[in-house]
This record gives sequence, structure tokens and C-alpha cells, in this order.
Amino acid sequence: MTGMTKSIKPLDKATTIAFGCIILLLGVGAIAEPNFLSATYLVQQLQVASFLGVIATGMMMVILLGHIDLSIPWTISIGGMMATGASGILGPELGVPLAVPFGIACGMTVGLINGIGVAYLRAPAMIFTLGMNAVAQGVMVYHTGGFAPQDSGTPFMRELAVGHLVPGVPNPLLIWILLGAATVFVLTRTTLGRQIYAIGNTERAVFLSGVNTRRVLVICFVFSGACAAAGGILLSGWANRSYQAMGDVYLLPTVAAIVLGGTNVLGGRGRYMGTVAGVILITLLQSILSVLQPQVYFAEFGIKLPADVFRNIVFGVVIIGMLLLYARGAKVQS
Amino acid sequence: MAGETTPLLRMEGITKHYGGVRALENVRFECDRGRIHALLGENGAGKSTLIKVLSGVVQPNAGRILLDGRPQVFARPAAANEAGIACIFQELSLLPDLTVADNICITNPPMRFGQIDYRAQRKRAEAALAVVGGEDIHPNATVRDLPLSRRQMVEIAKAMAREPKLLILDEATSALTAADVAKVFAMLKRLREEGMAVVYISHRMHEIAELADDCTVFRNGQHVETFTAGSKTDNAMVEMMIGREYQNAFPPLTRAKPDSEPVLKVENLSWQRELNNINLELRPGEVVGLGGLDGQGQRQLLLALFGTLIGTTGTIRIAGEAVDITSPQHAKSDTVGMALIPEDRKHEGLMLPMTVRENLTFAAVDRMSKWGLVDRSAEEAAITEMVELLKIRSDGIDGPVAALSGGNQQKIVIGKWLMNKPRIILLNDPTRGIDVGTKQEIYQLLRRLAESGAAILFYSTDYDELIGCCDRVLVLYDGTVIETLAGDRLTERNLIAAALNITNTRDLPETVQ
Repeated sequence: MTGMTKSIKPLDKATTIAFGCIILLLGVGAIAEPNFLSATYLVQQLQVASFLGVIATGMMMVILLGHIDLSIPWTISIGGMMATGASGILGPELGVPLAVPFGIACGMTVGLINGIGVAYLRAPAMIFTLGMNAVAQGVMVYHTGGFAPQDSGTPFMRELAVGHLVPGVPNPLLIWILLGAATVFVLTRTTLGRQIYAIGNTERAVFLSGVNTRRVLVICFVFSGACAAAGGILLSGWANRSYQAMGDVYLLPTVAAIVLGGTNVLGGRGRYMGTVAGVILITLLQSILSVLQPQVYFAEFGIKLPADVFRNIVFGVVIIGMLLLYARGAKVQS
Repeated sequence: MAGETTPLLRMEGITKHYGGVRALENVRFECDRGRIHALLGENGAGKSTLIKVLSGVVQPNAGRILLDGRPQVFARPAAANEAGIACIFQELSLLPDLTVADNICITNPPMRFGQIDYRAQRKRAEAALAVVGGEDIHPNATVRDLPLSRRQMVEIAKAMAREPKLLILDEATSALTAADVAKVFAMLKRLREEGMAVVYISHRMHEIAELADDCTVFRNGQHVETFTAGSKTDNAMVEMMIGREYQNAFPPLTRAKPDSEPVLKVENLSWQRELNNINLELRPGEVVGLGGLDGQGQRQLLLALFGTLIGTTGTIRIAGEAVDITSPQHAKSDTVGMALIPEDRKHEGLMLPMTVRENLTFAAVDRMSKWGLVDRSAEEAAITEMVELLKIRSDGIDGPVAALSGGNQQKIVIGKWLMNKPRIILLNDPTRGIDVGTKQEIYQLLRRLAESGAAILFYSTDYDELIGCCDRVLVLYDGTVIETLAGDRLTERNLIAAALNITNTRDLPETVQ
């Protein structure tokens, strides 16, 4: 009976905690700054969260398999830089209409190499993708000659990032909603979704069940590369430019959002709604820390910290704290 | 037997349960100085558990251990070591990336100014190696680089370096070359002269005939008899090992049509050194058993047939046509139609945290989906049918498999493959660790499957099962089919004799290879 209710219930424990923390954060924010509960602020936060959400969607598939994709930072940069630079590479006639697919294809290429390395060469994903991150960085530095790229995004990219196809809903949020819905569908309704969870649990049993496990691994890594590149394209459309290392700040938030949402870092368990909650929680936390400037209060006690240093510390402590909370919960349950 | 002196080791009333499984029941065992005591019994008779109790690896539920007449409690392996008990296990316990000398002195390295004295350590290792006859092994060699037989010699030297009073060898010679075995035997005989007590476990009857002073037979977790070596014939010893009564009800055999074409024909199948020129035929409607001692290539044979081993040689014919089965995916396809019930259901058969639904349809989910989309109603129907067929008891199909009993978990592993309607079913010890009731259901199921035309190849470590379930049994020894037993010749005695590679139980087995 407990098993039945568990799988039918839309939210699991981690997701509930994460949404609870979101409400708590909003409450704290509203006390200090009433504008926090305004529709404008909330929609703006969701728009910012969409970039992280798109990136985390791909990474989540890889983590569900029990692997990890540490090439995320420079795959984001590749996505952004290749899309903005497409007209320089492909020529203006092709480059302008194909900028977005070209950027995503470049990200998928990184993912494909990752997938082949992990699935066929049996390299540990942590090392292989970390190496690919460095390779991607090198290739991008070579491509730009070490200077910041001058290209700005195409009008279409700009529209994707800041426009409103549906009134009131920023386009990145719309993209995240569509991507998320598709992901939930794949994870819950298709054979591929089952195989992803199953590999994360017991890869050997999946192999002996006659499933081509390598194919599943490659698909997920390619998807992760595509999502990271798409995130990069949205970011460069938003900023109207791309730059080196634009993805570097996204690795920790991506992993943190997924894990805070209750996905098992070792694979096999996790809901997409949890990742959604994790992404929103991380985004709000970042925003509130920069708006409220809590380090000012510490300065009164003689602890002087720059804002970004303070933010990093709080960020890390929150992640570690919540992980410990989940780990305790899991132990009690089993 | 000598009542007036206290033996070095006396174990009394030792009982050990694992969950509901009785591994040892009120067992006594003695071993005295200057004697080599052989411990005999089938797989699962309780020998290894006794050794684990004695070496402090597991704690008995009841009973006591006396060493020199003084009661001892070995809470940890280190405590048994300190009391002078050294054990050489079948599975090697060496650290592969350290040197031979490091390994030999690992528990108590010689120290100098708070650091390991490498020169003294090397000398000690050299001395220990010389005692066992392994002078050819360099103490500074890395264990990983040594061949298996050398490693086993290091293992023996490591035990000797602790200067034990009681030495236990659990199948310790299984990987040694004939020359090494001779050296180890010479060492053991010398140690016996010097007054050491030795407990010796082996499945090789001729080794026991050569070495042992006393023999003790275990069966089904119980002490059967202790007697002086040489006072019983091999025949009598084998009978003692098998003479248990089991109340397993087996469904009656129905003869397969011998004239039907074999659905699976294997010719000269070899893999590395673990499978050597295996030939076998499997006809529809037939249940064929795989017997022999543990680890004679049975598992590898099943894995090779299922396409998981790389670099096999030989020919596999499915319904007459040569097929090179390259992966489980290929093996389960309609052209081959094979299924493998793996031995380790927790790691090879199931995804424990996932639901009954997901596990049960996992291998056949492609048949219930269109363009990768699972058809929920078709899936539901197939699951209902299978749950009824196998009488799977669960709290509902959307609960995790981990919550089910072992027997029901095993039914799910079997059911998962029956969904594919395979024509060749390979089973790797499917009844290990499950209750008697479920065992009987599985036997009946196998028989029904055979009657409906499937061909079944069935490895079991339980001889009763092989005799009760199988039309024929192939006995494997050293990766080869050494004997085929059927009809009246399919008896427990013949199975054991063939498994031990004794060609004729009436002869003394001195001519054994």
C-alpha cells in the first residue's frame, strides 16, 4: 500500500522540502522588501531560473544514469559562442538562420564525444568530461585567438531570450516549460525513460536484460550537451553577446539544483519536479542574497566580507546542509 | 578420541543461523597437535561457516571454542590470529598493489624508529617463503604481477609468517600447479612432525587420502562422523557426504521426443582457459542439468551462450543454423529466442528500488510499446497474466521489488523472461536461497515450460534438484563436459563421483588427473 501511494503522489519528500524552502525564502524576502512578492519580480526570477533549468534538464539525465557531466561550463560557452559566431563561420546567408541549430549541434558534438568515452571506452565520466571541458576551453580560446568574441547574437536569439511569444510569459520560461514537459513524458512514459532509471540502479541487470546500455548512455550525454549549448544560446541572446568562461558559474548551481531536488547523485532515483524546485530555489537564493546584502549585518560585528564572497559561503553551506538533511531522511526511511 | 589429554582445539555445540537458514547446527569439531584433520562435505554442508567461526569472521549463535582447554571468544579475525589460528581462504586475501613482503608482514610489520623496517621485513618474507617452498618468488615483486599459483604460495607464506599453532587451509591448493602442491604437502607433513595442528578442506579425494590423519564429514550443517583416515573406503565417504533425505517433491518427468531436432547445438565452445571444447545438444521439451563442483565453468558456459563473453571460439547452432550471438540483445531476439535467469538476482536480475511493474516487463517492454512509448493497458494485461501464472505475491505492482520475499523476487526474474516467450531458457542456480514452497513451484514451472516446447538448460549446486528435475545432467569439470548422466545412471553417487572426477568409485582414485 505504501508503495502505491508513494508512486502516485506527485511530490516526493525532497521536492516538498525544496518547495517549502522556496516559500520560506520568499517570506523572508517579503519582510525585508515587499516588492519580492510582486508579479514582475517573480516572473523575472522565473526567467532567470529558466537558463539554469534548461541546462540542469540535460545534466539530470546523466546524473540519473549514475554518471556526471563536468563539461557543462565550456559546453555552455561553446553553445553561446558558436551561435553568435555562426555567421562568421558559416557565412552570413547560412549563419544567421542556422545560428541556433549550429550552436546546439556543437554542444551535441561535445556530448557525443563524452558519451562515446564513457559508454564505449569505459572511461570514468568524472575524468572524461572534466577533460572534455578543458579541451572545449582550449578549442574556444584557439577559435577566438584569446580575445573576447565581437559577434553579438542574431535578432532571433535576442527574441528567444527576451521576447514574449505568450503575453506575460518570457520566452526562456516557455522553452523551459516545453522542454520540461517533454522530459517528464520521456522519463515516465517511454522505454527510454525506464532504461535511464534502470541503468542508474543496476546497470548489469539492464545489460543482461538485453538492453543496449551504451546507446542509452550516448543519448543522455548528447542530450546533456544539447541542453548546455541551448542554455548558452539563451544566455548570449539575453546579454546580447557571448564571452569566454560564460558557463563557469553554472556548474555548481546545476549540480546543486538537481541534488537539492532529491535526485540521487549515484543515479537511479529522482523526479523532474524536484529539479524544477531545486532550480527555482537556487535562483531565489542567489537573488535574495544579492538584494538583501546580509553581509552588512556581519560587518557590524567586525566580519567584513565582500558581497560575492559572502554569497558563495552561504550558497555552499545551504547546499551541504540540505544534503545532510536528505541523507538523514533516507537513512531513517530505510 | 584420546580422552585423557586436551586437544589443541575443541569446538562444541556450534550453531550458526543466517536469517532462517541453518548453516551449522550443534556441531562439534576437534583437532590435535601433530595431526592433519580433513573436513569433508558437499557445497553448503557448513565447512566454510565452521572455518569462518573459527577464524573470527562470523560469530556463532551458540556454542564455545576451546583452545588448549581454555574457552575463547573471537570477536574479530585479529583475535583469532593472536590466539595462533591462521587461515588460508579459497578467495585470495592479498592486496594486489603491494609487494610480496608487504603482504606477508601486513598485520605486524617489523618497526624501527616508528617506521617500517624494510630490510627486516624483506628478510622475514624471504624466510616465510622458504618455509613453504616458494624461494623463486622475489619479496619485492608486486603481487598483481604474479600468476595465480604464485599468489597462492604467497598467501600460504603469509599465514606461515604468523607462526600459527593451528593452520586452516580452505581449498588452498585449488589454483596451484602439481609441483607446488607437492611442495605444500611436504611442508604440511613437516609441520605435522613439528607438532602443528592442520585443518584441511579439499574436494580432491586423493589429496585427502595422501595427507589426512583424521576425517570429519559434514552434511547439511551437521556433524555426521569423525573417523581415522583410511578406515573408510572412498565409496563410504561419498555416501556419508550425500546420505541426506530431502522432501522435495519433483513433478514427474515426461520424456522428450528424442528424434526432434536440437534447438541448441554447441560444438567445441571454448573461452580463455575456463571453457574447454564444450559440446552439447538441447532439444525442445528437454530439461538438461549442469552439474559438477562450483566453479568448473558452468556460469561461464551460460554467459557464453547468452552472448556476454568476448572471444569465445566454437560454433553455436540455433535450430540447425550457426549463429554468432554477440550480445544479450541478440540472444533475446526472435531469431535466437534465448533467456538467461542469472544467479545473482539482486545485482544481475532486478532493479531493487524500482517497481514490480517496471521490473516484470523490463526485458519485454519493446513488445508492449510503439515508437518507444509504453502501452500501459497492454503492459497491465501482460503483468496480470504473469502474476497469476507465477502466483507472485506482492502489495501491488507499483511497489518496489525490494519489499518482496526472496522467492517472489526470483519469480519476477523468471517472469520477466517468460514475457518474451523464449524457446531456450538458461537458468543459473535459480533456487539458491529461496524457500522450499517456491522451489517446488519453480520445479513445476520448469516442467510445464518444457512440456510447452521450451528447451531448458539448468545449472544447480543442489544434486537432488538435478536428479529430480532433469532429463539429462552434464557434469562439468575444469571447463569440460566430463560425463553425461541420464536415466538409471543419474544418481547422487554418480554425480559426486563425476564431479570429483573419480572415474570409478570402486577404485581408489590414485589415477585421477
